[in-house]
Amino acid sequence: MSIKRLLIESLTVALGAALVVGCSGQIGSANGGPGGVTGGGPPNGGPPSGGGGGGATSGAGLLDLPSSPLPTNGLHKLTAWEFANSLQDLLGGSGVPLSPVEVDTLIGGFATVGGSTVAISPAGVGQYETVLGVATTFAFGDATRAKAVLPCVPQSAADAACLTSALNTFGRRAFRRPLSADETTAFVTLATTVGSQAGSNVLSGIQHAVWAMLQSPDFLYRVELGTPSAADGGRLKYTSFEIASRLAAVIWGSVPDDPLLDAAAGNALATSDGIRTQVQRMVADPRAHRALAAFSDQLFDAFALGQADKDPTLFPAYTATLRAAMLKEIELRVDDMTFTQKGDFLSLFEGTTTFVNKELAAFYGVPFTATDGDFHRVDLGGGSPRVGLLGAAGILAGHAHSELTSPTARGKFVDTMLLCRTVPEPPPGVPPLPSHAPPGSTVRQIMEAHRSQPQCAGCHALMDPIGFAMENFDASGQYRTSDNGQPIDASGELDGVAFNSLAGLGSALRKNAATGPCLVSKVYESALGRLPIAVDAAALDQLITKFNGSGHHIDQLLVDLSGSDGFRFISPK
Amino acid sequence: MLFGRNKLSRRAVLRGAMLGGATVALPLPRLGAMLNGNGTAYADGAALPVRFGWWFFGNGIIPERWVPPRTGVGGNWALSEQLAPLENVKPWVQVISGTAIKVPDSAPHSSFTAAALSGSNSSEKTTLLPTIEQVIGKMINGGTTFPTGLHIGIGNSGGGTQIGDTHSFSGVGMPNPAEFDPSKMFSKLVPFASSASGKPATPDTELLRRQMVLDAVNNQANTLRKRLGMDDQQRLDRHLQGVHELQTQIMRAQGPKVSGKLTDPAMAHPNGGAPGSLSRVRCQAFNDLLVFALSTDLTRIFSYTFTPAASFQVYSDCGLPGGYHSTYGHRGSPMGAAFGTAGMNTGVRYAIGNLGDLLTRMKETPDGAGNLLDNSCVYTTSCTSESQTHSPLDFPIVVTGKAGGKLKGDQHIRLIDDNTSKVLYTLYGAYGGTAPTFGKDEGQVSSGIPEMLA
Repeated sequence: MSIKRLLIESLTVALGAALVVGCSGQIGSANGGPGGVTGGGPPNGGPPSGGGGGGATSGAGLLDLPSSPLPTNGLHKLTAWEFANSLQDLLGGSGVPLSPVEVDTLIGGFATVGGSTVAISPAGVGQYETVLGVATTFAFGDATRAKAVLPCVPQSAADAACLTSALNTFGRRAFRRPLSADETTAFVTLATTVGSQAGSNVLSGIQHAVWAMLQSPDFLYRVELGTPSAADGGRLKYTSFEIASRLAAVIWGSVPDDPLLDAAAGNALATSDGIRTQVQRMVADPRAHRALAAFSDQLFDAFALGQADKDPTLFPAYTATLRAAMLKEIELRVDDMTFTQKGDFLSLFEGTTTFVNKELAAFYGVPFTATDGDFHRVDLGGGSPRVGLLGAAGILAGHAHSELTSPTARGKFVDTMLLCRTVPEPPPGVPPLPSHAPPGSTVRQIMEAHRSQPQCAGCHALMDPIGFAMENFDASGQYRTSDNGQPIDASGELDGVAFNSLAGLGSALRKNAATGPCLVSKVYESALGRLPIAVDAAALDQLITKFNGSGHHIDQLLVDLSGSDGFRFISPK
Repeated sequence: MLFGRNKLSRRAVLRGAMLGGATVALPLPRLGAMLNGNGTAYADGAALPVRFGWWFFGNGIIPERWVPPRTGVGGNWALSEQLAPLENVKPWVQVISGTAIKVPDSAPHSSFTAAALSGSNSSEKTTLLPTIEQVIGKMINGGTTFPTGLHIGIGNSGGGTQIGDTHSFSGVGMPNPAEFDPSKMFSKLVPFASSASGKPATPDTELLRRQMVLDAVNNQANTLRKRLGMDDQQRLDRHLQGVHELQTQIMRAQGPKVSGKLTDPAMAHPNGGAPGSLSRVRCQAFNDLLVFALSTDLTRIFSYTFTPAASFQVYSDCGLPGGYHSTYGHRGSPMGAAFGTAGMNTGVRYAIGNLGDLLTRMKETPDGAGNLLDNSCVYTTSCTSESQTHSPLDFPIVVTGKAGGKLKGDQHIRLIDDNTSKVLYTLYGAYGGTAPTFGKDEGQVSSGIPEMLA
């Protein structure tokens, strides 16, 4: 999601005739997309009943699935959080010292997609060496810490049996597969050589061997190449160990644990049922919370929030700690709905239960008495204008200018990330902005003036009427009743459904036929590390039907997705 | 061999015993002592190194305040209002005005950034050709300690553009992310410096162990490579290039130190602010490090992203509140368009002031018989021309430095509507490139700008 581009668009006015056609307001199969949907419904006018649209109007046909060739990349660079989580899980927990590595490349908003297309840069290789050197030195700095990481701690470099066992066990998790005999020999030799040097010891030897393992592409990239499956018409099917690798990345954002690898060793992950058994265990594991938070960060555009600086003279409350709290709030709401409430994910767009710490509570103006510095659940109340997840300050501030709101940015965020619509880039040769609207104009009035120009109307009609519903919240996400001295007009519409408040938008979004399918598509995209394409339509259709039919539960979606052909095969059909 | 080696690395070798009895060759850096008597070449007759880098700032310019009022050379032309901060280095400056980006503006700020730096359009988080410093680096930088160059970033508040916030690419989908923290770049350079303050040198035994570790990594990668398809092989090769560069750096850290003075930014520039914010002080810290690396031949290429394309950075360091892109670039300030224009002008001058600091620093750094600017070229550009309109016309291009005598200085050339790629092609040729064309599709050209050449 490109917030800053949205801001450009909110301030640019001319859209060429060709793009007006491109901004006809249609989505997915309505534009002739190749969804292959079973009864792909209209792009607007979703089912009126809240929670649980029927499959007949909410399949993959509502998504824009290009007929691109299937990517064949088998290397998936660990994202920054996958790298950090993996190190913690491998090297002894949260005490492992970590520092940042090369930034992720976001494609379509997802670092997992970027990770399937880029490699670590030459300068980045040096960063990883440094970070891993510090982390492994810590983990093997003494026998106590080493014992927490390894199945046994050799007493000397001559203890070949223990050394071999330790490195094989560690290596299996780090590489997400058993080490080959040659690999074992190489790493044991390295450990023995260093461990036998004057002034060194076996722990130092292990540290260097592990340092080598963790700098190997076999760790820094998930290697998932598949093998031809005769039982499946020769399709490339992921091996059980590759499935373990994928599951650990998607559900935990990390490396597999030993039970998962044991299941892979027994080829128990060759079937959908075998996968589901493991996934149900994994979803119930605390590590699943980390991966869900990472997905939430991507879907709700934490990157935009991270870059959304504000004018400090206008928004003195918008501190770095408040911004961090805004992000945490979104993660906690998503986590709570998924793992604690086990409720309908789409109900997040209408709910008023959220999580705040002291600073965010003050920003929201809600009572807060806890002194532990942590986040606590609060209900903003039925009368609160801050309804639904779109009322989270992090989303509002992340999609706004430094001084002014941007209905265009906010609307485009909803369009692209929550409805899976494609909004074209602004056209070439954008003419100058007109002079400012008359003094005292509201942002809405300025944008409406822009939209009154025919060449602007097409694309902005897709975005602005959604964003207008968020106008009761300023550029920092703070509630307001006026803009430039005039009362806020928060009326808008989404696919023909009119509303006059954020609550109305949230309700319309929840009921929109495209919202559920889009969420499924985003989870699919993030999990597979590639953009969904036409060949995915059938797999997505099945997942969407189940998702809608089961009340929009993300944890169940993960179970279903993991057992789907889209996850088990390089090509889903 | 993943990257080439120059004469030095083949000739100058230090032999050291590796653990386990292996012997390694340690290429030496060029040292000042190797120069001939008058400092115009090395004693063995090899030419002095030439360097190349680009300096990029987001959000463009105000053309009527950027373009110098007169064309000409020497005293016949004067710097414009927005380029005035380059007065100290005017004899090395060439302003090329009037050219236009011909690549379609399919992604605002992104397409023009890609075109100005590579002669190609952008795609999702990439250019479609390597950026110019990587192209030139292939010709001049293969044997240095940092063959992919140094990549510096100051402001990290991007514009959410298609190309992303990284603007250096070694190829399609091969970004070279910038380093924003001078202390980390300092740590990279410390092992090669003889006069560095700060941390004690790492014991040699540990350097040798690191080599053993990386040898194991190489073996792993080579085994894996055989199983991969072509696309993944290319990605792995990219990674392996980094491993080889790291190995080279470790080898050289065990050899003779370079003679330049490396300044610890924490000591010399303690008030540089948080990495990612705009700070003239932090720019100066990076300038010190970059000049050290260039003058000691640790690398010959660099990229320097002052702010990324369409940046929404807050320019508080020069007194501007609000996000730069919308408030000033698009004149969206609540204070009105005139206020926005004034802020835009302030921001451009602030940016060019920081460029001027770097160029002045290079001018003041002896190199051979002259100075570092004599033997370098710094190509400066942006993501658009007129920021309000995202104009491709009158694109901001400044070329500073003589590139070892290949380029002129102190002139303003105006070429109305000529393809901006011609500047890139000219620079490519000045550094020895011989390909008949440069760029891709509408960005492709087959001729340069002879007036730029000495």
